[in-house]
Amino acid sequence: MEQRRGEILAKKAKLAELKRQRELRASQASGRTSASPSELSLSSPTPGRPNRSEIEDLINSLVREPRPISVSTGIQSPGGRGSRPNSVLSAGDISTIDYHSEFAGPSHGQAHPAPSQPQVYSTVPLTTVYECPPSPVKEVFSYSKGVQTTDDWPPPRRSRATSDSDLEDAVTSTPGKRMSRRERDREEELREKLRKEIEEELRATKELVTDGVLKPTPATNFLARTLTAEETKAMIQSEEFMDFVDRSTKVIEKALDQEYDILTDYTLQAHDVDDEDEANGNVGGKGRRKVKEVAQFYDERWSKKRMVSSIDFSPKFNELLLASYTKNPTAPHDPDGIVQVWNMHLHDRPEFVFHAQSDILTAKFSPFHPNLIIGGAYSGQVLLWDTRARSAPVQKTPLTGSGHTHPVYCIDIVGTQNANNIISCSTDGAVCGWTVDMLSQPQETMSLTMPLPSKYEDLSPTCMAFPQADPTFFLVGSEEGTIFPCHRYDRAGAKAGVDARVSYKGHAAPVMSVDFHPSRGPVDLGDLVLSSSLDWSVKLWKVRAPAATSAIAPGLLGLPGAESQVTPLLDFVREDVVYDAAWSPVKPGVFSLVDGAGWLELWDITVETEEPVARISPSPRKDGRTMLSKSLNKIAWEPLEGKRLATGGIDGTVTMFEVGPDLGGKENLKNEEWTSVKKLVNRIEAVGVNGATA
Amino acid sequence: MSESALGAGPDALEETLGRLSKKPGVTAALILDRATGAILKTSGQIDSIRKNKPSAAPLPAQTAGSLTGEPDGDDGASQDQGADELAAMIWNFVATAGSLVEDLDTEDELKLLRLRTKKQELVIVPDAKYLLIVVHDTPPA
Repeated sequence: MEQRRGEILAKKAKLAELKRQRELRASQASGRTSASPSELSLSSPTPGRPNRSEIEDLINSLVREPRPISVSTGIQSPGGRGSRPNSVLSAGDISTIDYHSEFAGPSHGQAHPAPSQPQVYSTVPLTTVYECPPSPVKEVFSYSKGVQTTDDWPPPRRSRATSDSDLEDAVTSTPGKRMSRRERDREEELREKLRKEIEEELRATKELVTDGVLKPTPATNFLARTLTAEETKAMIQSEEFMDFVDRSTKVIEKALDQEYDILTDYTLQAHDVDDEDEANGNVGGKGRRKVKEVAQFYDERWSKKRMVSSIDFSPKFNELLLASYTKNPTAPHDPDGIVQVWNMHLHDRPEFVFHAQSDILTAKFSPFHPNLIIGGAYSGQVLLWDTRARSAPVQKTPLTGSGHTHPVYCIDIVGTQNANNIISCSTDGAVCGWTVDMLSQPQETMSLTMPLPSKYEDLSPTCMAFPQADPTFFLVGSEEGTIFPCHRYDRAGAKAGVDARVSYKGHAAPVMSVDFHPSRGPVDLGDLVLSSSLDWSVKLWKVRAPAATSAIAPGLLGLPGAESQVTPLLDFVREDVVYDAAWSPVKPGVFSLVDGAGWLELWDITVETEEPVARISPSPRKDGRTMLSKSLNKIAWEPLEGKRLATGGIDGTVTMFEVGPDLGGKENLKNEEWTSVKKLVNRIEAVGVNGATA
Repeated sequence: MSESALGAGPDALEETLGRLSKKPGVTAALILDRATGAILKTSGQIDSIRKNKPSAAPLPAQTAGSLTGEPDGDDGASQDQGADELAAMIWNFVATAGSLVEDLDTEDELKLLRLRTKKQELVIVPDAKYLLIVVHDTPPA
């Protein structure tokens, strides 16, 4: 019962809809008739008798030979392709007036006043001989049926279905008004068919009305109408069209980039493709510690002559990563700074491009909102982009007044899903906290200065890192080589700002990166920090818990404010300046680094502390510069699986690598790995610094 | 949606299509108006897609016939004609596919068509107003 009632209701709704449509149509039709009389009058001279058989003949001839019509238009078209074909066709296809009112309607207006048209008009009656007669004929017929049909029949209007249905439509609907009675039986049949078609059509028009967009009715014929050059141009230049091209080509490029062939039939041939693949690809390391280059991202238009300044994987979609770029000195009209979001499955074109008026020095996906991207600019601005919006930032901090006036090289979002802040740090030592909702003014500001015994006050942070657990404590690496612990707020024993009691001295040149151990395992390794520096080394530190620093300060006992210097646990001396180093997000002993010579190195401290376990250099771009273009700036791990990492450098290419099962991936993680890292750290602490030059 | 491609208007269009056709295996790209089937843009060798020209396929023969009639008058328009015919066939194919989807579920919408043949593949992206068709050779299976 319930179901039945539902059906009835649905039918009622449909009926109402039909009525509404009809009214709408009627109003359209009345508007239309004003346009069509001229054409109708053109065709009226052709004699049409209200004879059924003759109509059939006409119909048949129409169905079989639509050609004459188009031929005749073709004859005219060589004369000039201006707006002429429109007028010809629209005049020729009178039987489908409604059709034209939709598609060619606008061109009516243009075509008629056009000065060079008379020729066209003269030929029209000739071309329409076949098509037109039915309509006057039917006009005559249609009245008698009015009794039955006027109420529940929409006026004849179809966006041309198949030519058959079109004719049926024409035959029956117009006769619906004037047809003599003997034809009635026959007509009933047609009517039934038509009813279905019209319902279908109504559905289509409903969509049309609701969407405001034209959708082809399912059975519509292909229209043999060439657009004029102007029309095509106008359409191509519309923003909508560009949008479409942008979107659809992305889809297609992804479809084409899909390397796996789902139709491969393994029974047919045994190609040893895999072996070749192994040999050809850019591979480093061996066996289970292999590193393999899987993709390179470079966009001819946007990556050209820019340097990669930061890389970050999307925390939500592990196929997306962003890269920020500095300016392209040869393109003064392009935005200085850009951020490109790359898709693993789309190599030579970014999924999104975001702009800024100043070089972007750092950018990051918001870990709390997959659509938001934050960035720091050379101008001192903090910017916020939204992947749902256009390329301009949706929010940015003002250039003057509060906030930063120096380049922002480090930025982070800390806190929880419900309460998080953007923390930015500029090279003059200013640290600001912002809410994502309002970038017009910082929520908190702080100035980092050198702790007291220093001769000068200025502290120039080059990098910043927050531990996993504590959003109020962070480390900054400075230009002079020391790493300072800082507090965001006053706390017991320490004021907000640089903690004067502890400093991590070891690097002799600017620190390029600091990275806390991600430590998602059975043993807490969250106090291990990796730093890289231009002094050709990477150092491993054990950071003291922020609250406990006062309790265990060894150094010069009894002297308040005395600084305790912490020396690194491990020192990895390299052969070139090291620009970045990052812990693997899943393997406790694995980290990677990139250096000025263009090498990506993978280390596993549980295996070897003197040598990298694998190294690889991104394959050079074919058209790239050969000199001084290899240096790599940044490295980022894909955080969810820990299998892929991306590097970027001076030549603007972002290269993605995949590591073997011993260096990444969550499949075979063992608890021993954590304990062996812990043991290693304990041993070093007990024995003393191993090999550190400090 | 970035403004990147919108930046330079027609240039960007050429660039995007150019890059698409430079991809390995891609033979042609075609943009049609979804409502009328009018060709808005072509690139690549449309001609090479249809191997059997004289014997038009049975279904679109009728419609393509009315279509071919038009450029007949034009002498140098044989290539246009090829493109027109192809457009007509594809357009009919999409319309049919679209009606199938609609018949299954009126709320539903056609999003992507990949027509894989032994020799090539047609990737069709239907949109509310336009159709993008890219033809590419598939690697020998």
